Amino acid sequence: MKLSSMRYLIKEGFKGAWANRLMSLASIGVLVACMVVIGLAILISENVTMAIGNLEKQNVVMVYMKDYNWALYGDTESEEPESAESTESAENTENTESVDDTSSENAEDTVDENGIKQTDYVIHNEEEAAALCDKISALSNVESVEYISREAGLETVKENMLDGQEEYFTFLDDQYGNPLSDAAKVTMKEMSLFDETIKQIEDIEGVGSIQSYGGLAEKIDAIKQGIYVAGFWIIAILIVISLVIVSNTIRVTMYNRKLEISIMKAVGATDTFVRIPFVIEGVIIGLISALVSEGLIYFCYRVATEKIEVMLGSVVAFGEVAVYLLLVFVAIGIFAGALGSAFMIGKYLKHEGSEFTAI
Amino acid sequence: MAEELLEQFATPIVPTEPVIEFRGVSKTYPSGTHALEDVNIRINKGDFVFVVGSSGAGKSTFMKLIMREEKANTGTIMVNGFNLTKMPRKQVPMLRRTMGIVFQDFRLIPTMNVFDNVAFAMYVVGESGREVRREVTDALSKVGLGEKARCMPMQLSGGEQQRVGLARALVNSPDLIIADEPTGNVDPNMSYEIVNLLTEINKRGTTVLMVTHDHNLVRDFKHRVIMLDEGRIVADNAAGGAE
Repeated sequence: MKLSSMRYLIKEGFKGAWANRLMSLASIGVLVACMVVIGLAILISENVTMAIGNLEKQNVVMVYMKDYNWALYGDTESEEPESAESTESAENTENTESVDDTSSENAEDTVDENGIKQTDYVIHNEEEAAALCDKISALSNVESVEYISREAGLETVKENMLDGQEEYFTFLDDQYGNPLSDAAKVTMKEMSLFDETIKQIEDIEGVGSIQSYGGLAEKIDAIKQGIYVAGFWIIAILIVISLVIVSNTIRVTMYNRKLEISIMKAVGATDTFVRIPFVIEGVIIGLISALVSEGLIYFCYRVATEKIEVMLGSVVAFGEVAVYLLLVFVAIGIFAGALGSAFMIGKYLKHEGSEFTAI
Repeated sequence: MAEELLEQFATPIVPTEPVIEFRGVSKTYPSGTHALEDVNIRINKGDFVFVVGSSGAGKSTFMKLIMREEKANTGTIMVNGFNLTKMPRKQVPMLRRTMGIVFQDFRLIPTMNVFDNVAFAMYVVGESGREVRREVTDALSKVGLGEKARCMPMQLSGGEQQRVGLARALVNSPDLIIADEPTGNVDPNMSYEIVNLLTEINKRGTTVLMVTHDHNLVRDFKHRVIMLDEGRIVADNAAGGAE
């Protein structure tokens, strides 16, 4: 096709969009609404991804020990100490308490007022807790281990409470005793070895439970997957709506330009030539919608992030996703505009438009 | 009667190149209407032919078949070297570029001036700007509207509007002009002017096929007359001047 013809067709496309500006504006409005929803879905998804990334970057885990409180409050049924553990703990007791064998065995078998025997738990004192910390420290991917006694743990909990609430914990402590277990705050070196290291720690005798953000990250990841699936369907439905809207606008333009189409057909214009100005008109509508959507999303995101940032700590900067969003909008705009109009003009040319002598 | 007329005014077989040729052409619409039945006709290069007949005689179908807006059910149609019965749809624009069509209702785009209305026919077949200017100016001067190139269609009389339509049909230098009742919407004086113009164009070698209801025109201009009735050719008067 000649350059002059292309210039002519582009000019006709703009003329069509302008001549039919009310319908074009209505289409742009609906397309913008669709694109803004799509943009918001992308931004939410990006922020969730970042949040998961941040959680996964938390290389600190809390290791709770199998101490008296673990036996008392913890879920120990599934983790009955094995016979070897019993032997080991018996040995430890023997070493630390320096009593004769008979009295030691008696002490192990003695059931206290809570129904707990010494053999029901592994960590009986600070020395054993320190030994456990040493074992964790010995792991290659562990950078540091900080022992946090149950008392220190309770103090931290109280500190983190709001004013007045710490009294409740003081009351609980006074009434029933400290319910927390001894813990070790473990910092890892390499996050890539996170799962492997967690497994190694779990295998160490005396480790009760491990609290990491890995599980939370998995849950949020599941939510993210949900957002992706829902987002996909929302976007698919919105794209179909966009197609219908653009098709209808082009349909109006087409009927307004019935006379021109009939003359074009009469003088020997090809179907492609007849189609191009309408496709250009559709693309113009799509592109304008993309630009308006980008601006609107920028404004909405800026206002929203001012509030959200306080709650979440950090959000994805708009600049990081601006080009990506614009490309998505432009792609949707061109797709909906070109396909919607091509479909409609194709249908017209096949039926009504083929008879140019009777318009 | 029809057979007698056919014998009397039968077109003599001349060894000139046919522009339009119908061989055993019949057309029945899906509704069951028999529009044309066994039509055999040959229109040679340089002919000026009036197609006459009452409403429903098959004139419109005859023209639509030539422009390939409709397809024949049986028979063969050749127009400007194209075999219309075998031609694929995508070749139709190429066929139409070999003909200029003049409509009864002028079909001028009201938002374009005279020049642009004529130029439009060139742009849509991919002609470039400079050539468009030259050819449009030439076509407008041929129909005597060189001075009105910048006027809007609404500023022109019916006759002038039809002359713009004629200029548009001429601008791509077609071999064949098809005029579907071009004088139907103009006053009698203007009708003569339009047919005079068509005759001038015909004298330059362009074949003209004109559908009309105007008996006076057919009588006064001594061109070949094809008469259709109930889908059949009932008369073909090469000498013209009578119906």
